[in-house]
Amino acid sequence: MLALLALTLIFPESEKSVSLATKYGYDRWLVGRFLEYVPGVLDFIDKMEKSPTQYIRVNTLKTSREELEGRLRSKGFELKRTAIPEALAVEKAPMATGATNEYLLGHYYIQDLSSCMAVDALDVSENQAALEVAAAPGGKTTFMAQRMNNTGSIIALETSERRARSMSFNLARCGVYNTCILKMDGLQAEKLQMKFDRVLLDAPCSCEGVIAKDATRKTSHTPEDVDYCSGRQDKLIEVAARMVKPGGILVYSTCSFAPEENEMVVDRLLQKSGNIAVEPTKYGSSGLTSFGGMTFDGQLKNARRLYPHMHDTTGFFIARLRVS
Amino acid sequence: MYRKLTREETTLINRALDRWGAFEFFKGRSLMIQENGKKLVCLVPGELESVVQMQPYLAGLAIGELKKQFVPSMAGADLFARSGKRSEFYITVNENAEKLVLYGRDVMSESIVDASDRLGENELVIILNSRLEAIGIGRTRFAGRSIFQKGRVTVTTVADAGYYLREEG
Repeated sequence: MLALLALTLIFPESEKSVSLATKYGYDRWLVGRFLEYVPGVLDFIDKMEKSPTQYIRVNTLKTSREELEGRLRSKGFELKRTAIPEALAVEKAPMATGATNEYLLGHYYIQDLSSCMAVDALDVSENQAALEVAAAPGGKTTFMAQRMNNTGSIIALETSERRARSMSFNLARCGVYNTCILKMDGLQAEKLQMKFDRVLLDAPCSCEGVIAKDATRKTSHTPEDVDYCSGRQDKLIEVAARMVKPGGILVYSTCSFAPEENEMVVDRLLQKSGNIAVEPTKYGSSGLTSFGGMTFDGQLKNARRLYPHMHDTTGFFIARLRVS
Repeated sequence: MYRKLTREETTLINRALDRWGAFEFFKGRSLMIQENGKKLVCLVPGELESVVQMQPYLAGLAIGELKKQFVPSMAGADLFARSGKRSEFYITVNENAEKLVLYGRDVMSESIVDASDRLGENELVIILNSRLEAIGIGRTRFAGRSIFQKGRVTVTTVADAGYYLREEG
């Protein structure tokens, strides 16, 4: 029996959900939901209590992976290669990873592997036109710029002055010059009167996936926050999809596990549009095709879920959408 | 506000690019001025020119500022050092000085491992580390070989790559 609170599904409390919530300091409703859509919840909750693996992404506009590995190893860093060629896991850091000379010189960017995977799914290449919605602080933008070898153009939309400023520092540090930051809400993107080969929408979300980095997320958001995010994501993805050239790709991502912010958003877009296909991407577990008694478009199995305890990333959702 | 360069500004900037050995790299590339109290010189690829009319927060990369002369930004210095022919206006410092420069400290003569005899006093220079990467921008306090005189600060650091960390907080 499900209790509906606006859009976000709340499941009846169980002995297990109450006990886990009490032991680890979560809101009960949240653990109740995790039990429905996170595989291996005990491992997941255990993983959330540990420091997440830190990743850096080599800035190939300035250096090579081999050169950076050599320089950081000579300082005592222990690094491990990952599935994404530019991303390295920091297994041991003798100093703050953001305080090395190489960091200051823009040779790398501290960025979670999941974020790198979202850009990888975008499959961006030289001389393309790309749009990024809600772009700051610029981790994905700088990765896109390096995959584009500083050619073509990236229009980065960001509403906050403070975040745009921070992003401008990151672009300068990384030597990116093919990017333009516009102070604009993603919902207004059509004012640009442009179409893009690639659009990246890493949508503002409830951030359930970053609990290991920010434990306040165990209790700081409510089902109403998920509702709010979901409603905004619906609008943003519709605008973002209209910005894609025929044959182009839209990547939709969030750092949340909530199906209401992920599969349900994409499912509604698929129902409305008729010219969008969900394409498979390389990393992570399959997207959900059902949840809480609802069934989604079968293509959603091609979307990807990244779980901290299974993929050693922050929690993430990625859907690669081809617009025909 | 972004705008095209005037003829006078173009001349000034071309001279500066030549001074930093980066004229060839910038040939055919589009530069614009962002006026916001300062006159920032920005490398703005042609693909972005239509968006520039929308007065973006940032377009391309600010490579320096036009004052009485062109003063490179750290991002500009980095581009010049990587893509230009290093002229006499670059000095190289040792590893110990590299750390200090990145904290905004000035350069002691003993730390300089390479500098041109032809440098004048009060000359803008790009400070390189031993790997020839731009780590700062400095101003000479002495001319010629005097830059190597023992026991003195001979180059004042006016900008450094540590700025990104300090400013971004």
